[in-house]
Parts: sequence; C-alpha cells; structure tokens
Amino acid sequence: MLDFLGLVVFAIFTIMIVGAGLGVVLANRVTTSALLMAFTFLNMAGMFVLLGAETIAAFQVLIYVGAITVLILYGVMFTPQTPRAYGLFFQKQTPWGAVLAALAALPVIVVAFSFHDAKTVAPPGGDLNALAIAVFNSFAFPFEVASVLLLAAMVGAIVLVKRESPAAPPAAPLRRSEPPR
Amino acid sequence: MSVDVVGLVWLVPGIPLAAAIVNGLFGRRWLHRTTGVIASVALGLSAALGLAIFFAVLASGGQPRVVTLYEWIGVGDFRVDTAALVDPLSATMVAVVAGISFLIHIFSIGYMEHDRGIHRFFTWLPLFVFFMLTLVLADNYLLMFVGWEGVGLCSYLLIGFWFEKPAPYTAANKAFWMNRIGDWGFTIGTILTFLTFGSLNFHEVFDKVAGVAQTQPLTITFIALAFFLGATGKSAQLPLYSWLPDAMEGPTPVSALIHAATMVTAGVYLVARSTPIFADAGSALVVVGIVGAVTALFAATIALVQVDIKRVLAYSTVSQLGYMFLACGVGAPIAAIFHLATHAFFKALLFLGSGSVIHATEEQDMRRMGGLRRKMPITYWTFLLAGGALAAIPPLAGFWSKDEIVGAAFTSGHQILWSVGIGTGLLTAFYTTRMIYLTFHGEPRDHHLYDHAHESPPVMTVPLMLLAAGAVLAGLVLGFPPDAGFIHRFLAGVVSAEAGQQPEAPNYVLIAVLAAVAVVAALIGIGIGYAMYARRRPDPAAVSRAAGPIYTLLVNKYFVDELYDHRIIDGGRALFGAAWAFDAHIIDGIVDRLAWLTALIGSGLRRVQTGVVGNYALSIAAGLLVLIVVYGGYATGMLHR
Amino acid sequence: MPLAAFIAVSAALFFIGVAGVLVRRNAVVILMSVELMLNATNLAFVAFSRRLGVAGERGSVFVVFIFVVAAAEVAVGLAIILAAYRNRPTVDVDQLDEMKG
Repeated sequence: MLDFLGLVVFAIFTIMIVGAGLGVVLANRVTTSALLMAFTFLNMAGMFVLLGAETIAAFQVLIYVGAITVLILYGVMFTPQTPRAYGLFFQKQTPWGAVLAALAALPVIVVAFSFHDAKTVAPPGGDLNALAIAVFNSFAFPFEVASVLLLAAMVGAIVLVKRESPAAPPAAPLRRSEPPR
Repeated sequence: MSVDVVGLVWLVPGIPLAAAIVNGLFGRRWLHRTTGVIASVALGLSAALGLAIFFAVLASGGQPRVVTLYEWIGVGDFRVDTAALVDPLSATMVAVVAGISFLIHIFSIGYMEHDRGIHRFFTWLPLFVFFMLTLVLADNYLLMFVGWEGVGLCSYLLIGFWFEKPAPYTAANKAFWMNRIGDWGFTIGTILTFLTFGSLNFHEVFDKVAGVAQTQPLTITFIALAFFLGATGKSAQLPLYSWLPDAMEGPTPVSALIHAATMVTAGVYLVARSTPIFADAGSALVVVGIVGAVTALFAATIALVQVDIKRVLAYSTVSQLGYMFLACGVGAPIAAIFHLATHAFFKALLFLGSGSVIHATEEQDMRRMGGLRRKMPITYWTFLLAGGALAAIPPLAGFWSKDEIVGAAFTSGHQILWSVGIGTGLLTAFYTTRMIYLTFHGEPRDHHLYDHAHESPPVMTVPLMLLAAGAVLAGLVLGFPPDAGFIHRFLAGVVSAEAGQQPEAPNYVLIAVLAAVAVVAALIGIGIGYAMYARRRPDPAAVSRAAGPIYTLLVNKYFVDELYDHRIIDGGRALFGAAWAFDAHIIDGIVDRLAWLTALIGSGLRRVQTGVVGNYALSIAAGLLVLIVVYGGYATGMLHR
Repeated sequence: MPLAAFIAVSAALFFIGVAGVLVRRNAVVILMSVELMLNATNLAFVAFSRRLGVAGERGSVFVVFIFVVAAAEVAVGLAIILAAYRNRPTVDVDQLDEMKG
C-alpha cells in the first residue's frame, strides 16, 4: 500500500519535472521559463525526499529555488526581454540540435532502465549525520577549496559587471597659465 | 709549509676572472679608473700563485699532476674534465703568462689613464688572462679549445677597442675571420683525435700515439697538420699571418700582451704540447719547420721597410714566431718554449717601450720621431736592451734561445733551414737598429712633437725596468749552459724530442762555432743599419731607389692583402652569393610553399569557426553522442577491446 | 522504489536541458537549461548513492559540491551575459559572433 502510494507520488513528480522542464525550453516569455525552472527545482526537491535525502532537498530549495532563481530573474530584469514571434527565438541549428539531443537521450534512457532490478534504500533517520561526517572528515579540504571557488566567482562577477568609472581625465600634466602671446 | 699550492692551481685563472667580472659589472658606473687597480692587484695575486706553483713543480722534480675541478662531459666511456694539467711545461707557461700579464696591467694603468673606455679595457684584459691560463692549464684538447676561442674573442674585443674609428674594427674583423680558419683546423684536429684515440685527454692520447702510428701513420700526419693549421692561425704564420700587423690598431699594452707575449704563442704551445703526435707525424714536422723558416724570413723582410714603429714590431713578432715553429719542426720543442719565454720578455718590453713613446708623442710614425733618447732616458735604455735581445746580442736573453734554435736546425741536418735562420737573424739585427736609430737617435725631425715629449710616469717605467731585467737575465738563468740549461732539464721529461737526433752530451765546440756565425751575422746587420741611418752612407733613400721594384714589393707587404682581397675574398663572395641564391630560392622556396599550403588549408578550415556559441555547443553534444555510442558498443559487446 | 525510475527521470531532464542549450537563442534561457542539466545529475548522484545504501553519503557530498559550482557558474554566467550585453545590445547568442574565423 505504501509502495503504491510512493509510486503515485513519484509519477506525479516525474510528470511535473518533465513537463516543467519542457516548458522552460519551449516557453516564449523568458519570465515564464524562469518560473517554470523554479517549479522544476521544487519538484526535484520532492524527488530527493522520496530518496530519503531530506538535507539535500532542503539545500535544493534554499539554493536553487531561492538563490539561483532570484539571480536568473535579476538577469532577466537587466536585459530587455521582448516576446517575439515563436520561430524567432530558436537558433538556426534548432533541427540539428533537437535531433542530436533525442539521439543521445535514447540510449541513455535505455541504459537507465537496465537498472530495473536495483532498489533504492532510504537510510533510516535521514541523511544529515552521514552527510555531515563525510563533508567534514573525508571531504574537509575540498569543502574549503569550494569556499575559495565561491569567493573567486563573487570577485569575478563583480569585476565583470562593474562599470568603468566615468572616463577620468587623462594624466596629462596640468597646464598652468599660458604664456602671453 | 704544508700548503698544497698545486691544488690551488684553479685560483690562478680564477682570480683574473673574478676581477673581470667585478670590473665588468661595476666598472662603468662606480669603479672607473679603480678597475685598473683591481685588475692589477688580481693579476699580482695570480702571478704570485703562478710562481709559487712553478717552484712547487720544480721542487717535486717535475712530476705531472692533474687537478680536476669537476667532470665536464661524461658520455659512456668518453670523459672530459675541467681539469688542470700541472707539469713543467704548463707551469713554465703559467709563470710567464701570469708574470708578464701582471707587469703589463700595471703599465696599462698609466697608458690608459685618459681613456674613456678604461673600465672596458680592464674587463677584457683580465678576461683574456683567464682564457689564456685556461688554455695552457687544460689537460685535454677540448678545454684547451675553450681557452683558445676565449683568447680569440678577447683579442677581437681588444683590437677593436677603439671601435668608433673604422680601422680598429676592420682589423678586429680581419683578425677574427683569419683566426676562424685556424680554429677550423683545430676543430678538425680535435675531432680526428677523438675518432682515432677515443679520448681527448693529453696523457691518454699520447700513450696511444706510438701504437696508432704503426697502423695509421697517415692519420697521425693529418691530425698534426690540422693542429698546425690551427697554430698558424693563432700564431700568425704563413699563410694566415696578415691579421697580426693589422691588430696593432688596438691599444699598445694589448699588442704587448696578446699580440706579442702570450696569445700568439698559443700555437707554439699547442705544437709543443702535442710533441708526441708531431714526433710520429713524419712529413708534418717538415712542413712545420719549413713554414716557420719561410715565415721568419718573409716577415723580417717586410719589417725592413715599415715606418710605423708598432708594425715593425708586429712583423718582428711574426718572424720570431716563425723561429719557434722552426724549432718545433727540427725537433727541438724545448728550444721553442725557451725562445717563447725569452721572447715574451723582450717583445713585451719592446711593445711597452713603443707604447711609452706613443704615449709621450701620440705618434706612431718613426719618420717624425728622432732624438727621443734625451727626453725619455729610461724608455730608451730599456728599449735598447730589448732591441739587443731581439737582435740576439750575447749575453742578452734572445741570444741564447735563438742561437739554440738555429743550432738545432744545423745539428738535425737541416742546413738550408739553418742558413735561413742566420739570414733572418741578420735582417732582424738590421731592422732593430733602424728602428732604434730612427726613434731615439739623430736630430728631432718634428720639433713640435719633440718638444711635447716627456718621460712616462713611474707606473709605466717600473714595469719597463722589470721586463728589462727579464730580457737581460732570462736567457742566462733559463738556458745556460746551451742545450743543457735549467729549462732543458726541467722540460725534458714532458717535451721529449724523440724526432730530433740531439746528441746526449752537447758538442760545445760546434755550438760555439755556430753561435759565432750567428753573432757575426747579427753584428753585420747592426753594422749595415748603423752605416745607413747614422752615417747616411749609403743613404737609405738611395738604397730604396736602387732596389726599385723590390722596395715597392716590400713596402706593400708583398701585396698579400691585395691578393687575399681580390682573389680569395672575391672567390668567397661568389661562393657565398651562390649559397645565398640556393638559400633564397630552394630552401626558402620550400618553406614558402609549405606556408602557402598551410594558409590554403587554414582558409578552408576557418569556415568551421563560425563564432556562434550554439554551433560549438552542438559539436560538444555530437562528441557526447559519439562517446555514448562507443561506450554502448563496448558495454553491449558489439565492439571488442 | 526502483533505481531505474530515478535514473530515467534524471536522464530525461538532462537531455531536456541539452536540447534547451542547443535550440534556444536567448542567453538567459541557455543558462537556465544548464541549471536543469546540473540538477538532473544531482538526482542521478543521490539515486546511485541510495543504491549503495548506508555505505556512505559520497554521492550526496558530490551533490553539495555541485550546488557550489552551480551557484558560482550562474553568478559568473550572468555577469558575462551582462558584460556582453553592454558591449553589444543583444542577448541572442547567435548574434555574438566576433570570434568568427
């Protein structure tokens, strides 16, 4: 009974993720895309809960749904996004790209179903303990390096976006009083 | 005294090198004239150590010792070390080179005092000494070649010292290129030595010479000739002599040190050092002797008519070097080294004396001098002593060594070479008399010049006096009694003259007779010189008119420079032009075609670079697809590993 | 729950992201598609981690690092888009072809 319920919930999440994901790619308005992306992330958090990874799910909501979506929305805000004729928002290579993506997806999904015997086992009592021990023991150093990466990204982003201060006067020597002609 | 002096041998070239580095780095900005003091002090230390080593070798009975600094090249069995071979020969050379260099450095402090480039001068002069000492100390041909090239470089730099003027840098280029021909010979000799003996170490090579000479006599002859070609370049023998007179464009101390006392004797040293090779080289030895004798006579005849005091000395140097090769050629390398040592003293003194005169008068043309003996007594008397030594007047140094060479030519059965030597001795005495008379005697021919002349400061005259002592005493100290003197006993173990049939006990009667002949020839030369230039009977001008075409030939130095310019240089130009055309059209043509092909391919491929990010992403995705297909192929077993 | 289901969903979302990158013109949407791809891999990591059971949270640790990298990537990516827009007033990636050979 519980298994069946789980399956139903899984199916709902799957439909939401795939549908919203397709929406991100196909929506005309960029704002719609961004909101659909946030919705996809939210459903992904649900998937994590189904897998018994509550901590990851919490991170997912905080970082993706919160931070990244907001950042993307700022990006949308700062660049002009006028909806236009549907055909115009695709690249010239669209048919090639679609075919290629489909061709690549097919074998991967087939391979994915080759795991049909394996079961996922949710750890009892959540994943927080194990995750914390792993991050702060075995992965302590990469964890610190990751913080440096974030700092570098922050500085880089600021440098990239910073406007040049209004052109400073060239460092020519100050001209004193001109000699009388 | 338990200090191992010989173990410190690397300090002898090391100290001048340090001085050169210090002067080179800091001379221009901070040291200026102090560079001369630094270099002289360094050379003083070096000379003291060199003399100490000389006496240490003497005390040890002339046992050769190898002092290895570090392994330079080690490939399989082939090994070349940066190592010094300290034996009587190199110890003698070190003592002579370091000692004379020291005196000339002191002299240069005074001579170069007013020159703007003094820091350059005192960078290159110690550097030269470093290379020269490396050359004589090396225990293998490769390290010797390093010194050989190094002294050539310093010679080039110092000849062209006043490079603002056209003549010095032309002369520097000429010296460099002529030396290149000789260096080529040295290189060939070194390569052949390596191929034949599998080693470049002196002792290893010399141990094998006798054996190899049995099976490959031609190879040994060829090696000897190749080395001799190198020696003719460095030591200014026919046909590569003509750079040395032009080298007089350098400062006079440079002429004294490099182009009289040390560097030009490197060729003699090379031949003497390689005595075992030359001894087994058969006809090569005859070539050496003939070239030496012909050069001696040839250069002496040119020296008869030169009017530039330094050019007279330059041709005289070429002539005396010819004597040294003559000695090597008749199997008396000890006499060659003996003459090298005495010649270093009196020729350095002659050059420094002429430098003193030039410093005082700023003139090199002897026709404008005259009467200077009253103004410059010290210079005059020292010059006179050195001139006597050059003319081989007993008991001055030149007499003992030159007489020994000429005598060796006679006793070894080369009477023709002996007569050439005697004749050259007569000419030498004549041009020496002429030079001294024109410069110092008679009435001043240019009063303006005469009135401004003055004796040089002590910093210049003291080295002159010290060298004069050497020019007087070196022959007696080193070479008395004849053929059995100190230097013979000292060097006999190293430079074994197997080729020359020298008698065990010197035949003093024969020696005395031969010496008497040589002295008479010298006196005749002096007498003719005195008659012509002091008594004007016969008048020199009348003689030159009577000689007519011969005089023209001599004044123009046998037109050798013109011959080289018009025949060899033009031939070279044609060859180089052809080589250039080949390079421009064939070599460059191939490269151009390759470049054109590359450009063609590139212009085709640039279409791929659309600059559109999407296209690049598409190609990444295509790569992903390929990866998936390959991975799937392996996973499903459709592809096999 | 069967592992295969999660992996299939992950793969599907990943290739939706790939398609988005390849077909869309708008740079911001392309950035969103990249985020979708990253999230799809997160799901695969966690799912495989669950297959290993309690053997450790190695997969989940990677997810944490992917979060970090994704955040950094989106920040820098947006900065680049803004800088490019300032240079040339467009967000269409196929207009930005200064690198054309």
